[in-house]
Amino acid sequence: MKQIALYGKGGIGKSTTSTNISAALSLRGLDILQIGCDPKRDSTRMLMQGRLIPTVMDQVRERGDRAITLPDVVYTGFGGVRCVEAGGPEPGVGCAGRGIIATFQVLERLGALHADVVVYDVLGDVVCGGFAMPMREGYAQEVYLVTSGELMSLYAANNICKAIKRLSNRSRGQCRLAGVICNAKNLPREEELVATFADRIGSTLIQFIPRDPVVQRAELNRATVIEYAPDSTQADAYRLLAEKILTNSRLDIPEPLEIGELETLAYEFIAE
Amino acid sequence: MSSLRNEGCTLTGALSVTTAVRDAVSIIHGPDGCAHHNFSLLHALQYENDQLVLPSIISSSLRETDIVFGGEEALARVIGRAQERHPGAIFVLTSCVAAAIGDDVSAVCGEVRDIPVMVIPTGGFLGGGFHDGVISALVSLSYLGSTGSPSGMVNLVGEKNLEYEADANFHEVSRLLALLGVHVQLRFVRNCSLADIRKLGSASLNIMRDASLSGVGAVLSDRFGTPSLPAFPVGFEGTLAFLEAAGRKLGIDSAGAIASEEAYQQQVIRRFADLQGMAVRIREPGPAPGPVLAELEKLFCFDLQDNGPAPQIPDPFPVGTAGLSRMLHRWRRLCRA
Repeated sequence: MKQIALYGKGGIGKSTTSTNISAALSLRGLDILQIGCDPKRDSTRMLMQGRLIPTVMDQVRERGDRAITLPDVVYTGFGGVRCVEAGGPEPGVGCAGRGIIATFQVLERLGALHADVVVYDVLGDVVCGGFAMPMREGYAQEVYLVTSGELMSLYAANNICKAIKRLSNRSRGQCRLAGVICNAKNLPREEELVATFADRIGSTLIQFIPRDPVVQRAELNRATVIEYAPDSTQADAYRLLAEKILTNSRLDIPEPLEIGELETLAYEFIAE
Repeated sequence: MSSLRNEGCTLTGALSVTTAVRDAVSIIHGPDGCAHHNFSLLHALQYENDQLVLPSIISSSLRETDIVFGGEEALARVIGRAQERHPGAIFVLTSCVAAAIGDDVSAVCGEVRDIPVMVIPTGGFLGGGFHDGVISALVSLSYLGSTGSPSGMVNLVGEKNLEYEADANFHEVSRLLALLGVHVQLRFVRNCSLADIRKLGSASLNIMRDASLSGVGAVLSDRFGTPSLPAFPVGFEGTLAFLEAAGRKLGIDSAGAIASEEAYQQQVIRRFADLQGMAVRIREPGPAPGPVLAELEKLFCFDLQDNGPAPQIPDPFPVGTAGLSRMLHRWRRLCRA
């Protein structure tokens, strides 16, 4: 069983990337489980024909965690991908991080966490311990950072490296950085910048995903690119990424950059 | 006035005050354990003091889903349950977890109701201790007081509701004030009703339990213009000074009261004449007032030793002449044993 987690700045395209990876892997005949770890609960929507599935936390709230069964929280979508949404509070109340921890407890108890590949799609920043849950012992060993060439996005990715480094230092910590995915914003020399960033933090750029309007068209049609436009070059890019993830064996403990280094790096690519 | 007993949990400190209001309910916005633990502690201490009234505490019983989704609904529900008891006021005290997740407790409590629902922030992890909880509760409850023209009577502010000798100390202060012809109108807050608390602003003098409550005294003085005395008296000389200061603040000639008290003190000293020259080991003063110990050493010419019987110095130190008399009685029993 392979367990991967995608982290990155909010709005960078983690859910788009995750659903396309899951869809591409499922078409190779693999059993895929995608777990959305974000109270916004829209990670798996494109795999579910645009449907927001009931979340684990909503079910726990309505029925109590003892009454929940596997079919209450696992929904099968495109390509047989099994989808779970952790869910959580409305914006501005409660504690979303605790919601992730509680969700993992429920999923453990139900024995839900098994598949050929488990994909954890996690909220933008690792704002508290709860959102580091997928990186902890027994869950995702391979973390992929999703970033564009924008400084804010690199900054967020660099911050997540701090969490990976901290957790990998624990005696039983198995979490590693598996690579950087560039979800492009069409900036000049963007691929080169993100590749250099990946190299500086001690990792590698695993795939460059170009910016393509087909992604928006697919989303408006409530589908992944893999489903909506399987013959597009964008679908090729996602399939290639999925294959690389499947065969990737490079696992690094990242070395986060200081803010100054990060700015200098970004500046080098913008100034010229 | 820092000692170990003033540390501990802010919540417990605030509850020691709010549960002393007879016709109010205290809500702990937190998990059941916070309520259970505090209820048990308050109940056990009151039982030791022969008071069998159960503290009126209910819990919002926060569970994991409340933490994830926010505990405000649970709080609104428990306020509803508290209202069914028809209290005159509800005090809402926050726990660590409610504070950590940022429940907007003031907004929930601020909804219009026919009785006051008052928030006292008591998240223990914020760094305060028992004593901070006491102060915070006293200041909050002072908002229930009304202004009024000075009655000639006094308020006692911040009695230590969990100390064994709270009532003995109260009777002693009352006895001293009676020598001046003055009565206590309100014990703020001990075994009183909300109607009593409304009289808070009409006293001619507030007497604080001890110097650590000077901040509360300042708040009361700002709000109601009431002068205050910093502490209940300790020691023979301190007791006479207390009479003098109270008389001065109240515009009463204290000469007669002081003379009568001094005569009583001489009686007490004579009653313990057998302690003269007693060999004792006075422990490090610690929380006890050093000047009072020096005064006793001088009066009784104690034979200070490095070992031998070490009489107990109570914390809090007993109040007034009667307090010293109780303490000396215990010392005598120890030294004759």
